[in-house]
Amino acid sequence: MNDFTDDRSDLGGCAAEPIHIPGSIQPHGVLLAIRPDGLEIVQASGNVAWIVAGDVLGRVLTELPGMGGLAEALRGDLPSDGTATLCTLESGGQTWAVVAHRLPDLIIVEFEVSHAGAGSLDVLHPRIRRGVEALQAVADVPALAASIAQQVRELTDFDRVLVYRFDEDWNGIVIAEEGNGALPSYMNLRFPAADIPAQARELYRLNRLRLIPDAGYEPVPILPADPLDLSHSVLRSVSPVHAQYMRNMGTAASMSISILDEGRLWGLIACHNALPKRVPIHVRNACDFLGQIAAMLIGARTRSAEAAERVALHAVEARLLSYMAAEPRFIDGLTRHADDVLELTDAKGAALIFDGRCHLLGATPTEDQVLAITDWLNRTQPHDALFQTNALATHMPGAETFAEVASGVMGMTISQLHASYMLWFRPEVVQTVSWGGDPRKETGSINPRESFAAWRELVHQRAEPWTPAQMETVRSLQGAVTGIVMRKAEEMAELTEELRRSNKELEAFSYSVSHDLRAPFRHIVGYAELLREEENGLDARGRRYLDTIIESAFSAGRLVDDLLNFSQMGRAVLTPLPIDMNKLVAEVRRMLRPETEGRRIEWHVADLHPGVGDASFLRSVWQNLLSNAIKYTRGKDPASITITSTRGTGETVWSVADDGVGFDMAYVEKLFGVFQRLHRMEDYEGSGIGLANVRRIVERHGGRTWAEGALGKGATFHFALPDPVKEKTWQN
Amino acid sequence: MAELKPILLVEDNPKDLELTLAALDRSQLANEVVTARDGAEALDWLLYRGPHSGRPPVDPAVVLLDLKLPKVDGLQVLEKIKGDADLRHIPVVMLTASKEERDLVRSYELGVNAFVVKPVDFKEFFKAIQEVGMFWAILNEPHPPRPRNQPMRITEA
Repeated sequence: MNDFTDDRSDLGGCAAEPIHIPGSIQPHGVLLAIRPDGLEIVQASGNVAWIVAGDVLGRVLTELPGMGGLAEALRGDLPSDGTATLCTLESGGQTWAVVAHRLPDLIIVEFEVSHAGAGSLDVLHPRIRRGVEALQAVADVPALAASIAQQVRELTDFDRVLVYRFDEDWNGIVIAEEGNGALPSYMNLRFPAADIPAQARELYRLNRLRLIPDAGYEPVPILPADPLDLSHSVLRSVSPVHAQYMRNMGTAASMSISILDEGRLWGLIACHNALPKRVPIHVRNACDFLGQIAAMLIGARTRSAEAAERVALHAVEARLLSYMAAEPRFIDGLTRHADDVLELTDAKGAALIFDGRCHLLGATPTEDQVLAITDWLNRTQPHDALFQTNALATHMPGAETFAEVASGVMGMTISQLHASYMLWFRPEVVQTVSWGGDPRKETGSINPRESFAAWRELVHQRAEPWTPAQMETVRSLQGAVTGIVMRKAEEMAELTEELRRSNKELEAFSYSVSHDLRAPFRHIVGYAELLREEENGLDARGRRYLDTIIESAFSAGRLVDDLLNFSQMGRAVLTPLPIDMNKLVAEVRRMLRPETEGRRIEWHVADLHPGVGDASFLRSVWQNLLSNAIKYTRGKDPASITITSTRGTGETVWSVADDGVGFDMAYVEKLFGVFQRLHRMEDYEGSGIGLANVRRIVERHGGRTWAEGALGKGATFHFALPDPVKEKTWQN
Repeated sequence: MAELKPILLVEDNPKDLELTLAALDRSQLANEVVTARDGAEALDWLLYRGPHSGRPPVDPAVVLLDLKLPKVDGLQVLEKIKGDADLRHIPVVMLTASKEERDLVRSYELGVNAFVVKPVDFKEFFKAIQEVGMFWAILNEPHPPRPRNQPMRITEA
């Protein structure tokens, strides 16, 4: 995911220019290309007469006057990744500093104009030592940048020294500045990536130090004009575009020192002078040395700050993992600790989409908008990779409507099975960005811009970028959560298999019970009835015995039937549909009419809320509750039964209140148990399974049951059914 | 008047058999009751096989079929009857010890004519058998009143 990429092409004309083989050098020195074996001169800059009179091409270096010592030095090891300072020469009435480096088949020797008595690195040693100490003393990157800018300016006396840092898209921002006021301040200005094209950055990376003493110079051609790689040359002529760029900035001389962090061009120390300016080699080397120390320290500081952040984030992650482990539904471990979830990424909001539900934490877009984001992610992004942006609106159409809360979005899938996501949101931060000139005027143009007036741009629909440590922590959390989801899925599969097996056993058991246990009771009743019909010699007591046998066997049979009903209810498949509870209650009351015969009951039935559930099972719920109310008000005349309903949060509650015998609240938990009775058998008939059935049915619907009562003061029974979960379009 | 068709009662449990016969006896039915003790025996009788190859060619007025039977169970017998072009018209009433839903569903899928769960209460059982007998054995075919002193004819298949 790119940030601040406005698709501004940096492939202007100069991006295509082969600037490492310019075919010329700057005029403050002389260049020779020499064969390493015989030291034969094969190419020379056009101004070679400055050091040696006459034609030099084809001649051997040792034949030239005064070059014996140099030839000897060239036989030693020469670097191929930079230049080595070899010696100082006097020739043609001029002092030369001589540097050399190797190409695969050539030695490049450069003679740079110097002056007698130019200093050496030794002289600068105390200042370098103090500089290194000063750099080590500062703690953070901005202070390091300020310190290196100050020291380079002290060493070189340039009018202005900038520390220029690249962002991940190669736009530059000036983060430190030292100057004498001769040149305008560029502090905090941004420069578009096109200002330093890719091949120029590559040269900055290869050749850490670059000096242009006078931007108005006349290039000196290299003869013959065969291509010669000057990547590591100190005299390399720069692109005419660059020279023009410098003139536009009002700088005649410039020097730059590259700051590399693990091989990547992190930034530049850019020195500018209003007038042409030479910097001796030993000073440049001192600057290069300090620049390298600064680069090392910048890398170390950046990494230790990142490491500290990672440690802190891992602590948060570990807390979240322990919360998740402690919850039966791991997702609750996250939703119940919103603060930690947000701290993990320093976000203002988060969304967890799992199991068909969308949990929103903190400041987030609306649920529908969040679902639109996951829908878009699902369609356009790879499923196993972390997605992150600080400018969602530049990627996702329509995202600008909620840019205020979610310009920054980081997210990941947490299960391959369903569209499950964890997302973090960051609000838009309207930023004022100062560009060195309007960056958009540059598109496709080979000409550097004319004006360097600061150009201010308001950046909208962008959030603070996510840090690498935050991304890494989210990736790690993703791994952990995916692991949990997978393990839970495996456990569920195992549990399901186990349940299936025990369900099958239970089924077989209840099937044989229903056949085999009922039969003997049926036989007892049947034969006893036959006996009563055919045996006329029984006296009253004998007949009573017989009646008791029949009655006992009969109720034992009923008990078996009730128990079977109860077990079947647990296995039955529910068919939930919208239900008119008013109709259902009226129907049940009609059904129970025989039980109310000879009774005076005042019914108070409110207009009941509709519900969603399995009609035949809910009929059984009402039947049990109303039958109980009728039964336990038997002693009242008239009795009163009240049926009401209320809307709760996420559920609807229906209640049946009576003014009957009631119950002691101490036993309220026993009420809904199987075969639990609170009254003596001879007072109130029944197998004691009715309320157990009620609870079982309601729980199968995801609802709950409870009761209140007092001895002699009546009882109220409630059942609540959850609101149906609305169908989600994002579910695959 | 044509000979009354017999009732085929298929029941393996001797006590249930006795009680069902007692119930049928109280229904004042003139029909002969043929009893079979398992599904194989019932099918042999229905299909004139084995010992029944020479029996008089008459189809039963109704088959009272217990669900759980040795050898060939009630559902298989039902399937055979309803799958046989010659037997398909014979009404079959399933008698079962429990109202196990899947048995009920399967029975109706196979084309059962009625399904009776044997109640524990003998009076209800008696009533159920009587109604079944009345409906399938009598209502479909008028019959002369039977003198009370004549015992019900029961034969074993």
